[in-house]
Amino acid sequence: MAAAGNKLHPACRVRSEKFGLLFYDLRGPRLLFAETGALLEPDFFSGNEPVDAFLGQLDKRDKNRVESLLVKLREKGYLSEQ
Amino acid sequence: MSNRFVEMGLRSPVNLTWEMTQACNLKCRHCLSSSGTAAPDELTTAEALSLVDQIHASRVFQVNIGGGEPFMRPDFEEILAACHERGIMTCISTNGTLLNKELIDRLAATRLVNIQVSIDGANRETCDAIRGTGTFDAAIKALKLLAPTTIATSMNTVLTAQNAGEIPALYDMSQSLGVSLRVSRFRPSGRGVDNWDELRPTPTQLLAFSAWLSESGDVRTGDSFFSLTTQERQGLGLNLCGAAKLTACVGPNGNVYPCAFLQSAPFKAGSLRESTFQEIWDSSEIFNSFRRLRIHSCEDCRRFDQCHGGCPAVAWHLKNEISGGDPECLERCVTTIAEQAKDAEAA
Repeated sequence: MAAAGNKLHPACRVRSEKFGLLFYDLRGPRLLFAETGALLEPDFFSGNEPVDAFLGQLDKRDKNRVESLLVKLREKGYLSEQ
Repeated sequence: MSNRFVEMGLRSPVNLTWEMTQACNLKCRHCLSSSGTAAPDELTTAEALSLVDQIHASRVFQVNIGGGEPFMRPDFEEILAACHERGIMTCISTNGTLLNKELIDRLAATRLVNIQVSIDGANRETCDAIRGTGTFDAAIKALKLLAPTTIATSMNTVLTAQNAGEIPALYDMSQSLGVSLRVSRFRPSGRGVDNWDELRPTPTQLLAFSAWLSESGDVRTGDSFFSLTTQERQGLGLNLCGAAKLTACVGPNGNVYPCAFLQSAPFKAGSLRESTFQEIWDSSEIFNSFRRLRIHSCEDCRRFDQCHGGCPAVAWHLKNEISGGDPECLERCVTTIAEQAKDAEAA
């Protein structure tokens, strides 16, 4: 799966929770609960760290989890268009 | 699905209801906080700005601002700006009487403001009988000023016996104005206690509204934690009371409660003059009791998965207990109507 951007849309927010990450879309408002555990920090969605570099550090299972989440976030409009 | 994550306990509310003042230039008959005169011990500007810092540090996403009428606070725009500088979304509940073009232009400068204007009838007579003379025209004027701006605007109606038949017309009105419609539940708190018997919708009206709502996909309802359409609520799987789980309420003097409809001594979780907001959220026994609350008496109901026992605030105000199930729930409406028919037949 080709990696794409990871920068949060300006209208969206994210914070860490016990289960992982909680996303909020001010435009809805909408919520998205992502059960990522400690895999990702909210700062990941600042877009400052290249996705490919981050994914390269992960094992296959975690890489798939992150990629799936990015696809879901993109589909639901939580990420900025590249 | 989402209930599972919520029940694990969130680090802070998703949104916070902030009843910023008790001052109001109206005396609506259903007002949940009996607003009118400002309370003598309301948070100072410095205290209010400190709260903004605290909720920013706690990563609260949104503040729903009400009162009273928030625009009655001379420092309201300063507090609002502090929220926006920190990226906090704000939703202002207003009666619209103090809005003008200059003020709206200032508010529209940020994309972080939503405004809901209260209007309680599609007819002037209906609205003014509940909210006061001239309120219908003032609300329409405010909505017309807001509609062409970038501010997401809704008209908010509290469902009562008097306006229940006008909800479809209110929806049409919202469409023609270019704003959305949100319908809130009338709860017997504040001045609503005094006028409960007169204003409360009948079981037949509640069932009719529920049926209409299920067919009106873009109408939002104002439950305790969110303003959601039926479809959005189903999509999120959020079908529980959000008090102390997804939301909390700060009163005008900095007292903290599980929700805006439970702003009374038995439900005081703490004071911002004694503890930080995060300390109260993390440690309050009142909040923890709401997180443990299970409405066992409703668990066998066929609608349980849709409401999890409904609104504890209504149960408290009508039955003096929070764990007994919502006395005004749809299932009980059905039962009440059946009992009334049986009684009528017997008579």
